[in-house]
Amino acid sequence: MTGTNADRPGTAGNRPHRDHPALEIAGLSIRYTSRTPAVLAVDDVTLTVAAGQCLGLVGESGSGKSTIGLAVQGLLTREPQVEASGTVVVDGTGLDVTAEAGWAGVRGHRVTTVFQDPMASLDPTMTVGRMLTRVTGSREESLRWLGDVEIREPATVLRAYPHQLSGGMRQRVMIALALARGPALLVADEPTTALDVSVQAQILRLLTRERERLGCGVLFITHDLGVARAMCDEVAVLRHGRVVESGTAGGVLSEPEGAYTKKLVASRITVITDRERPVGLPEPTVIAAMRETGRAPEDLGERWEGGSLSWAEFEKERTEVQGGHTLELAGVTKSFRSGGLFGGARKQVLTGIDLRIERHRSVALVGESGSGKSTILRIVAGLETADAGDVYVDRTQGSGVQVVFQDAGASLTPWRTVGQLLTERLDNATDLDREQKRSRVREALERVALDPALADARPGQLSGGQKQRVAIARAVVVPPALLLCDEPTSALDVSVASSVLNLLNLLRYDLGLSLLFVTHDLAAARIVADRVDVISAGRIVERVPAASLSGAMTSDYGRRLLDAVLA
Amino acid sequence: MRSWPRVPLILIGAVVLAALIGPLLSPYSSIVPSGASHLPPFSAGHPLGTDELGLDIATRLLAGARTSLLAAAVVTVISAIGGLLLGTLAGFTGGFLDTVLMRVTDLFLALPATIVAMAVAAGLGPSMTSSMIAITVVWWPLYARLVRGEVRRVAGSLHVEAARMSGTRGWRLVLRHVLPSVLPTVAITASLDIGGVIVTVAALSFVGLGAPAPAPELGLMASAGLQYVVNSWWIPVLPGLAVGLLSLLFTYAGDGLRAALRHRGA
Repeated sequence: MTGTNADRPGTAGNRPHRDHPALEIAGLSIRYTSRTPAVLAVDDVTLTVAAGQCLGLVGESGSGKSTIGLAVQGLLTREPQVEASGTVVVDGTGLDVTAEAGWAGVRGHRVTTVFQDPMASLDPTMTVGRMLTRVTGSREESLRWLGDVEIREPATVLRAYPHQLSGGMRQRVMIALALARGPALLVADEPTTALDVSVQAQILRLLTRERERLGCGVLFITHDLGVARAMCDEVAVLRHGRVVESGTAGGVLSEPEGAYTKKLVASRITVITDRERPVGLPEPTVIAAMRETGRAPEDLGERWEGGSLSWAEFEKERTEVQGGHTLELAGVTKSFRSGGLFGGARKQVLTGIDLRIERHRSVALVGESGSGKSTILRIVAGLETADAGDVYVDRTQGSGVQVVFQDAGASLTPWRTVGQLLTERLDNATDLDREQKRSRVREALERVALDPALADARPGQLSGGQKQRVAIARAVVVPPALLLCDEPTSALDVSVASSVLNLLNLLRYDLGLSLLFVTHDLAAARIVADRVDVISAGRIVERVPAASLSGAMTSDYGRRLLDAVLA
Repeated sequence: MRSWPRVPLILIGAVVLAALIGPLLSPYSSIVPSGASHLPPFSAGHPLGTDELGLDIATRLLAGARTSLLAAAVVTVISAIGGLLLGTLAGFTGGFLDTVLMRVTDLFLALPATIVAMAVAAGLGPSMTSSMIAITVVWWPLYARLVRGEVRRVAGSLHVEAARMSGTRGWRLVLRHVLPSVLPTVAITASLDIGGVIVTVAALSFVGLGAPAPAPELGLMASAGLQYVVNSWWIPVLPGLAVGLLSLLFTYAGDGLRAALRHRGA
């Protein structure tokens, strides 16, 4: 792993001259034979990354984008059950993705990588300085590289171990390590997915600048169309291992031609998406759920397609007196004990939180990781208790408080069937007979656009989006007074996420649910909320009506979050 | 279940079956002499020979295996159930009850198990029942500890939190959302333990705390036959080998069960 001294990049003058593309892939197919039937992960893919160019590989989970990323780094050569055909040429060298021969001197030298999780790829036993100096050869060079990736106190960071750095800092170190080797091709596999939005914007800017300075090609793998548009010159859209559309980033993403790309682009939510109407393209399952309400117009599909279907049409007539609050938090304070066997310090997580949700209203709590937003949700749910302050939930409008967790898969008991999980909720909150329960379960599943036949399935047999819908169905099978959602869409693919947001909105208008939606995603918050509360460092810094979000946001922190959302 | 190893399963089936019905099929009694004494193995009519009293060793080994298996099964099942109940109670309620129960198990675990078992068996008077009681007394704390840890781990997971949010509490929560993921661990541990219990049962009867002579018990047969080891080696060695074989087979089967359950869980 010692860096070759020849060919050190970055120092002006001896930048290697590149007269061939950084990467050429032709007719590449990759098959995993470990499963029966064998899985064709990559199917006849042809693409080129020119020197100094950034190609975005865009697709949802299971599209094969990461397999291509692994293949061009030579990381499939030791996998026993992989078959491949087609050619891969890295920086002028033809290579076999399933054989080790030829990869030495390419992997980690001419191709380097920035992964999604820098903690997993940095050696926890080495200081940043030791790792970097192995590549750069000298302390001075290492310091210069840390400066280049905009680390403010490079001398301190040089002495630090990876676990002492924040996620954003680690990713910067990872980028410095990857670029200091002077690669012809940098593979960036979802490098900003795990980061907060404001950090994400900085990292993307940094990557673009360094790419232009060093002239290396970048293969940028992402599921996020906004990131792809901000970063890439060209994009290739992958689905089921095939490139379904490719071209310039601006062209493909603003005027998509293929049906799948259209759907992806339409599913993308930004701060200017129309929040009065369902997001994304019409989806049969969601339409069926809309019909279940009995208030859907006849020509539902066409009106959605034409953009004239409004949520207001699903709004239930309400006879009861308006006003009153479903949730009131007053002066809620919470601290956790942190570290230390003897005493240890207490870390203040929430300070004087006041939060009210009016009946039938929806509030989104938006903040970055560590802001305390999830702690508020857990206090409201009764899973934590506040140190001080009042928590009041009006339980007259429904049955208690229900939660939809971010990790829906883990929130469903793996050995219970979907039907059992929903029936259990009915057992606990109602006294219906067996037949009534069965029909309520069926209704609840239809309402979240799931096939009622899935009642017999166990969570392990469901996809990520289906699990999240089951979690929602369990939460609303007995309508709660208040529904809490903890980042319910952040682990989902864009098209699945948009249908989950549509379903939440349908429930909100149809059942008149009060909703507290906790998220880091301002764009998603705007879609499902009437009001957006911005939280930072345990304090609510701003409350803005969702309808006029961009205009009304005045706090520095709120503006920063807003700017970080990619158009 | 496709990764269940077929060979040990068949072997165990054969051994258990032989132990259960073998004594009925044998033409000899296990406590009435049936021929000349000190007959070596492969003698006519006595495939494993006879002992110092002229008892057929093959018949006695089958009867002894039956006693060992029954004793081991009873001890393991009672220990596992007891440990499961107390461990679940401690792990799920937490607090004071947890502290008290776990200090009691610590106390048992701190003492050398075999010696405590000997003391208990000696106190109750030598018999098969008292040695079973003695072993159960020292065996259950292991399960209580194990189960408590597992229950606490599972109880902290998101799906239990979610079930609690949906209104399920108390024993229903434990039965439906916690125990199903603890049971396989207990089953694996118990199946791996049977071999150990067989050895301990034999050890207690070897030192004279099991069933008194002439009961067909493997440990007793080995210890009583020890004085003839020079001239008739098969009298003490064959029962010893039988203990080893039984314990090995069950340990092997426990491993198979573990692999099968892990495979299913993955």
